[in-house]
Parts: sequence; C-alpha cells; structure tokens
Amino acid sequence: MCGIVGFLDKGGNRQAPVGQVLLNMLTALGRRGPDSAGVALYGDPGDGLLVLRVKLGQQGLAEVQGAQVTERVKDLASVVKVSLQGEYLCLVVDYQGDATRLESVIEAAGEDIEVVSMGRRLEVVKQVGSPENLELTYGISASVGTHGIGHTRMSTESRVDLSHSQPFWAHGLPDLAVVHNGHITNYHKLRRRYEQRGHHFYTENDSEIIGLYLAEQMTHGASFTAALQSSLRDFDGAFSYLAATADSLGFVKDPFGFKPLVVAETAAYVALATEEIALQTALGGDFPVWEPGVKQVQTWQVER
Amino acid sequence: MVRQVECTGKTTREINQEIRRLIGDGEQEIVVLRPQARHNLGVAVLQPVKLVFEGSVGYYCAGMADGPSVEIRGSAGWGVAEGMMSGTVIIEQNAGNSAAASIRGGTVVVRGSASARAGIAMKGGTLIIQGNCGYMTGFMMQKGTIIVCGDAGEALGDSMYEGRIFVGGSIAEFGNDAVIQELTPEDREFLTSTLTQYGITSARPFQKVVAGRRLWRFDKKEFATWREAL
Repeated sequence: MCGIVGFLDKGGNRQAPVGQVLLNMLTALGRRGPDSAGVALYGDPGDGLLVLRVKLGQQGLAEVQGAQVTERVKDLASVVKVSLQGEYLCLVVDYQGDATRLESVIEAAGEDIEVVSMGRRLEVVKQVGSPENLELTYGISASVGTHGIGHTRMSTESRVDLSHSQPFWAHGLPDLAVVHNGHITNYHKLRRRYEQRGHHFYTENDSEIIGLYLAEQMTHGASFTAALQSSLRDFDGAFSYLAATADSLGFVKDPFGFKPLVVAETAAYVALATEEIALQTALGGDFPVWEPGVKQVQTWQVER
Repeated sequence: MVRQVECTGKTTREINQEIRRLIGDGEQEIVVLRPQARHNLGVAVLQPVKLVFEGSVGYYCAGMADGPSVEIRGSAGWGVAEGMMSGTVIIEQNAGNSAAASIRGGTVVVRGSASARAGIAMKGGTLIIQGNCGYMTGFMMQKGTIIVCGDAGEALGDSMYEGRIFVGGSIAEFGNDAVIQELTPEDREFLTSTLTQYGITSARPFQKVVAGRRLWRFDKKEFATWREAL
C-alpha cells in the first residue's frame, strides 16, 4: 500500500496553503499507510539561502548535538537561523559551495546524524506515525509555498524509523525529492552498481534509489522530465512515484498500471494522489479526475 | 419519493446499511449525497432500485450488483461494478483501473475514459466506454461485449477466450491472440441499438476484435506466443 500525494500552484503563488492541502490529503489516505508520514514542502526561505534539516542522533542531548553540528557548518557557511524542531536541527545558511561537501561535514559529527533535506526551497518533514501526529509535532498545516509532495507509509520490506520514511531527498542534489508507492524489484542490483561507483545509501528502503537515480541523471545533464522518462527503462517492478524540484512536480507510472495514481488539474493547480478520496477531501469540488495510463510521465512547472 | 442518504460523518458500513434499510422499506429511488470518493459504496444491491451518487466514488462501487440502476455523477475508482450480475451502472466521468471486472451481466457505461484493464475477465454483460480505454482492456475476457468509442490502449483483448470488443478509434496494439473480425449484420444492429439506448451517437465505423483461439489449446509450435501470454 502506501499513499502518495502532490500539489502544485500553477500561478507560482508562494503563499499557497501547500502544508494544509498536503495534510488533508494525507489524512484521507492515512489508512493506506499507518507506519510513518511525511511531506516535502517548497516554500520561500529567502533569496539564495539554503535550508538544511538535519536528523540528530540518539547519542546525547539534542541541544548539545545541535550545537556541535552548527559549529561545523559555521566553518563553511554563515548561519542565518538555527532552531531545534522535534527530532530535527533546522539551519538556514548562506552557502554557495558544493552540497555534498557541506553534507559530509555535517554527517561526520555523529554516526546517526543525517541531512534529511537540503535546498533553496525544499524542506522535508517526516516521522514515524500518522499524518495527524506529524501535524501535532511540526504544525505542517501552517507551511505555505508553491508546491509539495507527501507520503503515508506501510512498510513492506524495510524498517520503520524516521530515515526509512518518505519523502526522500535525493542526497547530493539540493531541492530534489521523491515519494513512491510500490516496489522497485531490481533495487538490489541497482544498489550494488551505485555502491561500486561510491554512492552511499542511508537506508534499506528501495524507494531511496529513485532520488539517487534521478539526481545522477540530472547531474549528467538530463532535464527533470527526461530523468523521469529514463527511469521507466531502468526500474523494474510495480510503482507510481512523484518527484519534485525547486520549481517542478511530476509523476511516473509503471509499465503495467499495478499501482494507483489519479490526477486532477484545473487552471489554478494540479493535484495528484493515490486515491481520489484525497483530492475530494482536500480540494472538494467539481474537477475532472483521471487515472494516468501505463508508462505515463508528466511534469508541471511553477510559473515564475 | 426520492430519499437521500448523507455520507458526511458516517462510516461506509453505516452508509451501506442505510441504503439497504431504505431499499427494505420499499423505496424506489435513493440519492447518496457527498460520497467523497469513498470505497465500497452501494455494494451488493440486489433489488431493481435507482441509486444515484452525487459525486465521485472510490473503489468497488456497486460491486456484486444484481438489478439496480446506478448513476455516479463524478468519477469512479478501481473495480467499479466488479462482479455485477445484472442492472446498469453509469459513470458520468472517468473510471479507474479494472472497470466492470468479471461482470456476468448488465451494462456499465463510462462517459469519460477508462484506465487499465477495463472489462478484465468479463463473463457476460456489456461495457461501454465513451472515451478511450487503457492498457490491457478486455484481458482474459470470456464472454460479453466491450464497446470503446474512442481509442484503445496497448495489449487490447490480450488472451481473451471469447466475447467481442468493438473499437471506434485507433488501436495502439493488439494483445496476444486478439484478432480483427468482420462485423456481422447482428453486430451492427447491436451497436446501433445499444448506443442509442445510452444516447451515444458515434459516427466512426467500429472495428471488431475477438479471440483468435490459438491459445485455446497448447501447441508447441506456438511456444513464443505462449511464453509471451504467460
């Protein structure tokens, strides 16, 4: 099972109630995945600034760990804002350098410290539990932005913890995030290939490889749409997944139509969800809803 | 008199029990308000009542129906009218995967388009899709008729045993052992009368797709086809 959702305000309104819409959609799909819930929100933290959300480890006090990570970041970037939010350290920094370098400096601070998201627009908020609990802990409904994606998880093949929940930020490429419903059946084979090339995996969740794959394609010059297209050739299995960048949202449906996904598009927005119940609950109205066909890929861009 | 069932604040079971109770009371027309694309609404209705859903429905709506006349004023999720024995189910907009799966009788009309595997394992009845149909429509159908007024997706009629599929638009790809056959005068008559009954006037000439029957028996000379089909 698992439930995935996405929303994009086509007009590029940076104050669109993305957090509230995603929360309502996820709540409607909650029974599809009671293990964990999460959202990737594309807001407007400030011109050119980079937002980092860092999962702090279980080794010691959050305050102490947070301070240690912040000190490390200060060696590379000027820190504009620091806050502790639940299990996360949230940093807003002025940094123009290499994302991977910044990430590895942070993660060297402790064994289970992980940069959950990094981006000029992106913030990933996820945890174990229901969408309602995600709201109670982080108040995601207050978040505004242009677009976002979300996930409720029913784990079928890997453990249930914050790191294994979705969305997954594509480590290495700021702002790229993915939510996935299904199973990438050639995951182990692909993973071995990536590991031989030096890529690090944070989880044993097959969905993690989607972001890694897209990031590699896009780093080598593929457009967002082209990267999604080529994934159909390289992934086996039953899957519907959504991916988002700083200004785009897209979906991919597997070659057999094994996993559901419906789309509602109006002049103002596009909304995607595993089931229409999410669209009706969050956006209720008289919009046409359609289920994409097999091997279908489509992307939308926020107007600038 | 038309009786209304409000969905807001009720569980699916409560909604279905209320529909059942009204039918038991002898009501002839029931309107279900704000279905909000919830699953399993109006399943196993075995009486010839009129049941209207004022909005979209989720999975398996009107499944196992035997006799009712159902209208869905919105779209439908997976498996609409699955296993229907008799009656009519009309979906005003699009239908998700496996519309009219395994129906044995009755008629399902999708005014919009249907997604993958519409009419899978049909054992009778008629499925009319006014728009386009998706991948593997009519997969392993055994009896009955599918009419697609628009275009058909890939693997049309794959491994069908029997039955017939009429397509007004283009066919992206034939499934294993699905072949074109000439329309008989009875076919043309059936198409005209059936479509007219549901207010569909399609000017396009239909093609007819049936089983080539090569998969009925195993023939090792046709091993390649078998391997593909399985």
